[in-house]
Amino acid sequence: MTTDTQLSTPSGAASARALDGEARVRLYETMVLCRTYEEAILREYHADKGPGFDIGKGLIPGEMHLSAGQEPVAAGVCAHLSTDDGVTATHRPHHFAIAHGMDLRKMTAEIFGRETGLGRGRGGHMHLFDPDTHFSCSGIIAEGYPPALGQAFAFKRKGTDRVVVAVTGEGAANQGGFHESLNLAATWNLPVVFVVEDNDWGISVPKSACTAIPSNADRAAGYGIPGERVEDNDVEAVHAAAGRAVARARAGQGPSLIEVHTLRMWGHFEGDAQGYRPELAEVPAQDPIPRYEQALRAAGLLDDDAVSRIKAAASERVEDAVAHAKDSPLPDPAQATDHVFA
Amino acid sequence: MTEVPFPGLSTENPDSEGVVSTWFVGEGESVAADQLLAEVQVDKVAAEVLAPVAGVVRLLVEEEAVVKQGEPIAHID
Amino acid sequence: MTITDTPTTPAPAASRRLSTSKAMVEAIAQEMERDPSVIYLGEDVGAYGGIFSSTTGLLDRFGPDRILDTPISETAFIGLGIGAATEGLRPIVELMFADFLGVCFDQIYNHMAKIHFESGGNVKVPMVLTTAVGGGYSDGAQHSQCLWGTFAHLPGMKVVVPSNPADAKGLMTAAIRDDNPVVYLFHKGVMGLPWMAKNPRSIDVVPEGEYVVPIGKAALAREGKDVTVVTLSLSVHHALDVAEKLAGDGIDVEVLDLRSLVPLDREAILTSVAKTGRLVVVDEDYQSFGLSGEVVATVADRDPTLLKAPVQRVAVPDVPIPYAHVLEYAVLPRPERIEEAVRRVVGG
Repeated sequence: MTTDTQLSTPSGAASARALDGEARVRLYETMVLCRTYEEAILREYHADKGPGFDIGKGLIPGEMHLSAGQEPVAAGVCAHLSTDDGVTATHRPHHFAIAHGMDLRKMTAEIFGRETGLGRGRGGHMHLFDPDTHFSCSGIIAEGYPPALGQAFAFKRKGTDRVVVAVTGEGAANQGGFHESLNLAATWNLPVVFVVEDNDWGISVPKSACTAIPSNADRAAGYGIPGERVEDNDVEAVHAAAGRAVARARAGQGPSLIEVHTLRMWGHFEGDAQGYRPELAEVPAQDPIPRYEQALRAAGLLDDDAVSRIKAAASERVEDAVAHAKDSPLPDPAQATDHVFA
Repeated sequence: MTEVPFPGLSTENPDSEGVVSTWFVGEGESVAADQLLAEVQVDKVAAEVLAPVAGVVRLLVEEEAVVKQGEPIAHID
Repeated sequence: MTITDTPTTPAPAASRRLSTSKAMVEAIAQEMERDPSVIYLGEDVGAYGGIFSSTTGLLDRFGPDRILDTPISETAFIGLGIGAATEGLRPIVELMFADFLGVCFDQIYNHMAKIHFESGGNVKVPMVLTTAVGGGYSDGAQHSQCLWGTFAHLPGMKVVVPSNPADAKGLMTAAIRDDNPVVYLFHKGVMGLPWMAKNPRSIDVVPEGEYVVPIGKAALAREGKDVTVVTLSLSVHHALDVAEKLAGDGIDVEVLDLRSLVPLDREAILTSVAKTGRLVVVDEDYQSFGLSGEVVATVADRDPTLLKAPVQRVAVPDVPIPYAHVLEYAVLPRPERIEEAVRRVVGG
C-alpha cells in the first residue's frame, strides 16, 4: 500500500506502464484523500467565521480556495512523479500538494498559521513551499510557470531525468507570463509539463467570455510543443496524457501542455455565493469521485469494505494533521520581521 | 406601523438564519420611502433592505445579531 | 397637553449614509450618467460587481457595453484603457489587487504616466486606475499590500486614497473628471463590506447629487494642539480612535488625512506641524523609501526647527505581510503602535 509520504510511482519506465488494478485503486485513494482533506478544511474554515461571515476571523482566516472536483487532475498527473520532481501550483493548491506527497502535518500547520507549518505561519495556504518535495505555489495568476522553468533548468543542468509539473487554471492562459513561459521552455527544451486545469470559471467569468479559442491545448502548437486536451475530468484519461508528457520530458524531448476540462465544485473562494453560476444545481451529479468508484466497483476492484477502509484511512490521516495543527504553537509576534533575509 | 422583515434570500433553506451586517440609519430617525436602511447577509449572499414607506424607524435588532428570514428587523411608524 | 405628555418634536431626518463602497459606486454611476465616454473595465466587475463591491449594480444599469469583464490580462486591458483614453474615452480600469501591479507595471509607469510628458503635452490620458489595497484579514504577502508609495514615487500619475465614504465619492468624481491619469487606491478595510470586520467610520453621511473633493488637498479629520498625526486610509480610523482615547489623558491629537499623495498637500502638513511641533506619521505601506519618509522630508526641507521632538513613524517594518494573524497584527500600524508613538513624541 502507499507510504505516508509517497503516493506516486517511481520515475522512469514506470511512467509508461499501463494501469493495473492496484494502480487504479491508488488513484482512487489519492482522490479520496484530497477530498477528505478539503472537506476537513471546509469544516474548520467555516466553524468560527460567524455570526455572519467575517473573513478575518477564526483559526483559518483569510481567503480559502478549495479544490473539490479537481482531484482527477492531481491524482492522474502526480502518479507519474516522485518527490524528486518539482511541482508549482496555484492559489488552489491542496490537491496537488497532497497528491505529490507533501507532509500533511506541516501543510496543515501552515494553513492554521502555526510555527510548525511549512512556512512557520508566514505564508499561509496560497504560499506553501516544501523543499522536501520541490513543491511551491503562488497567488499571482500564471506566475507559478516561470519558477517551474527554473527548477527544470536546474534539473537538466545536473544531468538528471527529473521533471517539473507547472499548474495553472484556464484563466491564466490569457496572462502574459503563461505565453512567455511556454515559449522559453520550448526554446530551451526544458523538462516541464504544463498543466491547465480548465474548470470553466475565472472567479465569475466563464472561459467562453474571455478566451479566444476553445482549447488551450491548441495554443501549445503556437509554441511548437505537443498539446493534449482531456475533456471529461476522468482520472485515467489524465493519467494517460500525463504519462506521455512526463515520459517525453524525462527522455529529453522537452515540454508539453495538457489541458484538463475539470470541475470546480465549490466557489472560487469560500464565501463565494456563486450567484453568477447558472449550472450550479447540476454540479454535484458531476462529482468525479463517486463516478470513478462506480467504475472500480464494476471492475471488481472495490467493494463496500474496501471503500470504507480507504475513507477511514484518509479520515484518520487528515484528522491527525488537523489535530497536530491545532496543538501547534502560534508564532511569536516578537519574531514577526524574521526570515526576510537568510 | 409597517414591519420591515429580514428578506427571504435563501429560497432553498427558508430556515436559514442571517445577520444584519450594517444599519445605515439610526434609531428614531425619520426616513423616506426607498431609503437604504440596512445591508443583511444570509449564506454569504448580501442584500440591501430599503424602507417600504416613509416614517420614523425603530430598530429591533443589533448589527451582527442572528435573525431568521422573515423576522421583523425594524418598524416604521 | 399635560406635563406627562411627551413633547411632539419631529424626529430628526436620517442623514443619508452609505458605506465607502456604495459611495464609490454612486460617484461612478453619476458620472456615467452624465458622460457617455466613461466606461469601467476589469476582472469580475460585471455580474459579480467587483470583488470588493466597486461596481455593484452598474452592469444592470449601464449594460455590458460600458461595464466590461476582461480576461486575466492586466497588461493588455490596462494598455487598452490607456489607448482608449488617448482617443477620447474616459476609462476607469480596475487592477483587482494593487499587489498585482507586478504583471502590468510597464503599462502603468512607462505608458499611462509618461505619455503626456513624452508628447510634450499633446496627448492626454484621462484615465482612472482603481485598485484594492490593504491587509488585516490574513490574505498573506501577495494580497495585503498598500503600495501607494510606489505609485506616488513615479512621476506622471496622480494618486488618491480616500479614507471615508464622502471622500470616496468626492475623489472618484474628481478622478473621473481629471484629464490626467489618477490612481485611486481603496482600502478593503474601509469599504464597509458585510463580510469583513468594519470600523464604524466606514459607514457615514455622503452628500447626494454631484459631489467633488479636490485632488491635492488634505483634510483635518480632527483638530488638536499637542501632536500632529499625518496619515491616510484605514489608519485615519485608527488614529481617530487613538485620539479619542488620549483626549481622556489630556493629550490633544490633531489628525491630518492626506487624501491625496500626488499632489501632496505639503502646506497642510507644515501648517499642522508648525502648530504642534510634534509629528507622527502613520502609513500602512512599507516604512523605508516611501510615503512616511516623504512626509518627514517635507518638514525637514522647509524648517526642521519646527520639530520639538524626533519624528515617530508607524509603518510596516520592511517585511512582507505575514499570513498568521498574530504576526500580521504585529507589523501593521495598529492603534496600539499609534498610541505608543504619540505618547513617545509628547513625552520626549
